[in-house]
Amino acid sequence: MEKKEISGNLKEDEAALRRQLPAQDILAFPFSDRAGRAYVCLFADALTDKDLLAEQVLRPLQAYTGAPEAETIARCTLSPEVRTARALSTLAEEVLAGNPVLLWEGADEGLIVGTKKVPVRAVTEPPTDVAIKGPREGFVEDVKTNTSLVRKRLKTGELRIEMLTIGRRSATSVALCWLEGTCRGQIVEDVRKKLAAVDIDAVPDASYLTRFLTDRPRSLIKQTGSTEKPDIFCAKLAEGRVGILTDGSPIALTIPYLLVEDFQASEDYFVPAYRATFTRFLRLFALLVAVYLPAFYVAAQLFKLQLLPVRLLLTIAGSIRGIPLSPSLEMLLVLIVLEILNEASIRMPKYVGMALSVVGALVLGETAVRAGFVSTPAIIIIAFSGIGLYAVPNLIEETSVVRLVMLLVAGSFGPYGILLASAFLMVALVTTENYGVPLTAPFSPLVGRDLRDTFLKYNLHSLKMRPATLQSPNKRRLK
Amino acid sequence: MKLSSRQVCFFLAAVSPVGKMVLLPARLAETAQNDLLFPVLAHLLIQAALIFCVLLLSRRERTLCALVKGAAGNAAAKIVCTLFAAFLLFAAFLPIVEQKIMVRSIFYDTLPAHLVFAPFFLLSAYLASRPLRTLGRMWDILAPLFVLGMAGILVLAAGSCDLGALSPAGAAGAGAFGSGVRITCAWFFDSALLLALIGHFPYSKGLAWKGTLCYLGGGALLLLFLAVFYGVFGEVAVLQTVAFARISAFFSAMTVLGRIDYLFLFALAFVMAFFAILPLQEAVGTLTEAFGTPRLAPLFSVGANVLMLAAVYALHFFPSGSVAAVTQTLFWIFPLFTALLPLLLLLLFGRRPHEKIS
Repeated sequence: MEKKEISGNLKEDEAALRRQLPAQDILAFPFSDRAGRAYVCLFADALTDKDLLAEQVLRPLQAYTGAPEAETIARCTLSPEVRTARALSTLAEEVLAGNPVLLWEGADEGLIVGTKKVPVRAVTEPPTDVAIKGPREGFVEDVKTNTSLVRKRLKTGELRIEMLTIGRRSATSVALCWLEGTCRGQIVEDVRKKLAAVDIDAVPDASYLTRFLTDRPRSLIKQTGSTEKPDIFCAKLAEGRVGILTDGSPIALTIPYLLVEDFQASEDYFVPAYRATFTRFLRLFALLVAVYLPAFYVAAQLFKLQLLPVRLLLTIAGSIRGIPLSPSLEMLLVLIVLEILNEASIRMPKYVGMALSVVGALVLGETAVRAGFVSTPAIIIIAFSGIGLYAVPNLIEETSVVRLVMLLVAGSFGPYGILLASAFLMVALVTTENYGVPLTAPFSPLVGRDLRDTFLKYNLHSLKMRPATLQSPNKRRLK
Repeated sequence: MKLSSRQVCFFLAAVSPVGKMVLLPARLAETAQNDLLFPVLAHLLIQAALIFCVLLLSRRERTLCALVKGAAGNAAAKIVCTLFAAFLLFAAFLPIVEQKIMVRSIFYDTLPAHLVFAPFFLLSAYLASRPLRTLGRMWDILAPLFVLGMAGILVLAAGSCDLGALSPAGAAGAGAFGSGVRITCAWFFDSALLLALIGHFPYSKGLAWKGTLCYLGGGALLLLFLAVFYGVFGEVAVLQTVAFARISAFFSAMTVLGRIDYLFLFALAFVMAFFAILPLQEAVGTLTEAFGTPRLAPLFSVGANVLMLAAVYALHFFPSGSVAAVTQTLFWIFPLFTALLPLLLLLLFGRRPHEKIS
């Protein structure tokens, strides 16, 4: 952008600003005050609250008779958010961000008025993180609303919110949040550095930032936590994590991320500890079944029939008689059909969704079995696997790939292949670290005290200390 | 430090015993019959004493290579470390062959393709090129898996176990005991494995005792396993080549539930895979350190694994012969590196950490 400062000549200043803002939705409103001094107000049509602008700025100024200094003019307006700037480029950026800019004859600074009005969705329960018990508020696409949801829950001066602008074209506002004294300073510093180094055209969503916040951006393994719920976000900040809110995205990121986080739900903290422990183990079991069941079924059929009980084996033998495909190909086919159905049902309009379910369940499932293309056990196993994967919804992207890999390995190498693939996976998991925190902690490396809130969920009174894994300088959370 | 003292304890208690649960029990049952516990007990006590010595040696918090280099110079360090790495490669042969035999007999109904075992070397090469910290972290995961696997198979086997088969104690005689000790030398090189790790973990107060007790704890589980094994099979124990895969196969509910013992076997086999990789990784680490070429670690790792792959597949049709060669003919190599070397080092460097070494 052209670097120039305000000259005091209104026509020249307006023209210079106009050159930087040639779009037709940038409007200029010329007016003069009672002393006859000429003003012009530049604003982005769709992003400005014109009523508020008129009420708080234009009307008082029309009656103004004072000196042409920015400070006095600012005091004359009724807006609580007024700033000044000399650089035309800064003024242009503010206009584009939705904040009107006021110029006048003889001005040495431009006045920026905070009467932005962006279309904002109402705060609703996030569809990906529904809770039966507990708060139902979810983040929205507006970063200011989101920071207010956080501030509402953490009414402490220790809550730091640092606003950054990322994206050469999008100039997306990103809020870096942490609790001073609770979060390790080095993490904040590292995250800040990584965000500052991001040089990208636009940041349409928080997921863009995750690629820049990790040391291994190409890794299959997830390395940043994410949530749509402010209560979870605040709980993570209170444990000593850094949070990132991105304008335009309802997804908040948290760092450092531990694998075990995705097995925890906000509800676990609102129900008795024994119930939470049970459901967490259930999630783990569901995930293991989802990933390994298709693979073991194929491996058992191809290499080790003893893995199956005799009666089940006889039933399966009856079902697979006449199936033209090999067990691995059959399972792969059904898995791909499931993935297609899954993908299509997310993308399709709601009205077509019902029809798709019927087509998927009846035509593809029932008819394929009757026609002898696939066997009933294969459908049952994939259906169970498909459901199991959703027990830990935040890991679906990773686990569905792992499931596919396990299936391919099982079909090629049998049970030992599954064992080796699992070993590879485990090695990859234990070696992943972010911001000095191992992904698999507190299991590996073992941090005994932190196990109290992993798959096991102790009573709140036993969780007196913050997770040692996060190395918070403020270790105690319950007195 | 790459490892923590806790991880070392986990290795001694939960990872080292699995290496002795595949071929050893049947071989020992053949030689020592119902007295199979005594040779193992003798080895465990000797190894425990050696482990105590090695842990005392670790107080200096210097690696084997650094210790030798500090005392005898660079050239001597290179020679000692190369010899030690060669021994570790040699020692790795038996666990890998055992792994191969185990895989063939418990994971497949019919004889699988020869190449089914080959991906093991991919994992091994990958892991051997990683820092030791990776293996330490794996031990944190493997310890509970070992406990789960052992508990599972022992509980399932308990119903069909008659510990009376172990009596009368001492019936096999001193000769059988001696033969038993001799042929099982190749399975007890834990002190050498630990020797390669010194300097990579901090010495905390009492670690020598803790580590030794952990090793004895794991050893006690091994003895229990052997007792149950002989209690289940009695005189036909000789025929049960892959011991741990068979002892729980007679659980009464198996016909209804299927081979649920495979869940536990899978857990133990998982632990076993990492045990088999350890000597290779240590050999690579020792060589890399001796020659001061950490960047060549992946190359050394590939080389070591290709060598082992070639050896294992070259002897593919002679599994019994190759195992016999290591355990009965070349068994004397093991005491040299598991007992003599640590004792020698302790003698030379076993002073208090603050004392100056030449």
